[in-house]
Amino acid sequence: MSWFEPDNIYRPKIAILDRVVDEIAEVKTFFWHFKNPADQEAFRHFRPGQFAQVSIFGTGEFPASLPPSPTETETFFTIRQVGSVTAALHQFKPGAQFGVRGPYGNGFPMESYQGQNLVFVAGGIGLIPLRSGIVYALKNREKYGRIQIFYGSRNPRDLMYLTSLQEWQKADGFECHLTVDRADASWSGNVGVVGGLFKKPGVSIPVENTTAFVCGPPVMFRFVIKDLVAMGFKDHQIVSTLERYMKCGVGKCGHCCIGVAYVCLDGPVFTYEQIQKLGEDI
Amino acid sequence: MRARIVQGEDVLKIVDLLRQDHEVYAPFYGRGRDSYFDVVTDTNRDRIQIHVPNPYYPPKRFLLPHIERLLRIRQEAGDWKLEPEYNQVRRAIFGIRSCDVAGINHLDRYFLGRGFRDIYYEQRRRLLFLVNVVCTDPEADIDKSCYCPCADTGPAARGHFDLQLMDLGGEFMAVAGSEAGEKLFTHPIFKKGTPAHVDRRREILDTIRRQFKATTSWFSAAVRYISQGKVLDKIWEEVGIRCLECGGCTFVCPACTCFTVSDRRLSDVEVERVRIWDACALTGYTRMAGGFNPRKAVHDRRNRRFFRKLAHYFMQRELSMACVGCGRCAAVCHGDVGMPSVVEMIRRTTAAKEPHELVRA
Ligand SMILES: Cc1cc2nc3c(=O)[nH]c(=O)nc-3n(C[C@H](O)[C@H](O)[C@H](O)COP(=O)(O)OP(=O)(O)OC[C@H]3O[C@@H](n4cnc5c(N)ncnc54)[C@H](O)[C@@H]3O)c2cc1C
Ligand code: SF4
Ligand code: FES
Repeated sequence: MSWFEPDNIYRPKIAILDRVVDEIAEVKTFFWHFKNPADQEAFRHFRPGQFAQVSIFGTGEFPASLPPSPTETETFFTIRQVGSVTAALHQFKPGAQFGVRGPYGNGFPMESYQGQNLVFVAGGIGLIPLRSGIVYALKNREKYGRIQIFYGSRNPRDLMYLTSLQEWQKADGFECHLTVDRADASWSGNVGVVGGLFKKPGVSIPVENTTAFVCGPPVMFRFVIKDLVAMGFKDHQIVSTLERYMKCGVGKCGHCCIGVAYVCLDGPVFTYEQIQKLGEDI
Repeated sequence: MRARIVQGEDVLKIVDLLRQDHEVYAPFYGRGRDSYFDVVTDTNRDRIQIHVPNPYYPPKRFLLPHIERLLRIRQEAGDWKLEPEYNQVRRAIFGIRSCDVAGINHLDRYFLGRGFRDIYYEQRRRLLFLVNVVCTDPEADIDKSCYCPCADTGPAARGHFDLQLMDLGGEFMAVAGSEAGEKLFTHPIFKKGTPAHVDRRREILDTIRRQFKATTSWFSAAVRYISQGKVLDKIWEEVGIRCLECGGCTFVCPACTCFTVSDRRLSDVEVERVRIWDACALTGYTRMAGGFNPRKAVHDRRNRRFFRKLAHYFMQRELSMACVGCGRCAAVCHGDVGMPSVVEMIRRTTAAKEPHELVRA
């Protein structure tokens, strides 16, 4: 939906569930398409980092990141079951109908990063909002410098998008470093927090001309920021997506307002510099 | 803006005129000094009050009802059908005060500006006719909490109404603020005025401005301190201690806009999606799935209300201020942390800490 279109901003479009893929415990990926092809066409032009409002009729609506890149043909959400609405979606079988409106929010300004190195740092399901940017960058590989992913989860069973990760690793000039807090018998890789990967032998992170994307639980976020700043990253070189309770997604209900920003309009993507100026704890 | 004169005994004929093609709301007295807006009927028409304390239940409900249906959602043979419902009723508010006219202007900027237009609001607004009555009776019209001169919204609104009436004593001056308002002037009750009428209007306004009980609310100082982040935490804590978290201030506020959205089941195959007034004072307002609440302490949430209304950033964003000086929150707050008191607390305490501040606390 474009700016200033005199349309009903609260009216979702009908979507149909195609298939469901189990990711990790309590997290599933839902592939879907719009019932009306015109809606599908209008929706295609989203930006990495944007989100949509998902309606389960009779239960409610919630915001969800758009993990696919606009360069991909399939549309999907990856959703963790936490409360009433997400639980209802988790019960859905292929063919079921739900509502989607969007895309909303600012998204990552991928064009403005052209010529830069990209460092993606994710913890747990924080990989969901970053996935779009990663796939977009790989698709436009020639536009960017080095691309690195540092991804950690609590244990090996909590690593998401593993097949995608393996696929991405084959790309030219793409580095992927994984770690888990606690290893099990299946795991022979790194053990420890994500920030530990930065100091691993053989790992070098360019600071000059680099943008770092950080998404994950609040504790991980704070430690990673500290590490990046210690390496010499400036606050404006670090971007993240914020999560806030949302009801409308279009700047009207007031719920997502944090300090001076509406997360749904001005975000969810903010630089660390902006986050500090919001004037409220995040 | 064009003006006309209406005789005192003719003034309610404006209501009759509007009733031909509007559902007209006007202020009435309740049992005591309380007042409310109600639909004008043949029976209550003669009890309409021109000079009356402004009703607590703000007229924003004609644009953003307390509970409003957004969608009717029906399941038919496996398919979901969405049916939005838009307002079709032409309404007029007779006797809306200047502060509330400014409140509606703020809502216009909020719901119709800033990128996304809210079509539910727009449909109501398009069909709403506003007859502003200027507060000129210091006893009936002006409450001890009123401070529109300070918020610069009254006592006489400068725009955003269709018709404005001002009591000149026995006769009223009518000012048209829109084409629709001016159209009424073709009716014979509207007569040409004289320069003497204009002088009389100015005199009355000069006098009434000095009859407000609490005009000094030091808004500009509070706006500056809040925008610069200079307000001490202990003020927010004090406000937090006194806030009972009833949400009353936001519900009576003509410029508060927050709502929540909820799905309600109507039958096995039918659901309605409604929006309901919400308040940042309430604990659930920012609580996220899993229980994490970024604004847990009550003073974080109280801070929120005043920050949202007074930070310069939002005024720039909306080109209007989210407080219009109606004084309702001051009147209903049990803890005396309505807008004027908080502005005063901010000014006193912060000014005392400011080395360059000339005003002594
Ligand atoms: C921009 C954005 C992107 C997100 N992307 C994803 C994603 O890709 N995958 C995913 O699993 N989760 C995502 N979330 C979090 C997800 O929206 C919440 O987990 C979800 O709203 C919980 O809804 P519920 O009904 O199951 O929980 P309940 O606790 O029953 O919540 C009821 C309602 O509260 C609101 N709500 C509660 N928690 C949140 C929250 N954290 N954020 C926003 N609204 C909330 C919603 O309106 C929800 O419908 C995202 C949140 C935001 C703000
Ligand atoms: S904040 Fe208080 S004084 Fe200001 S408009 Fe709202 S209710 Fe009226
Ligand atoms: S989600 Fe409603 S204002 Fe941002």
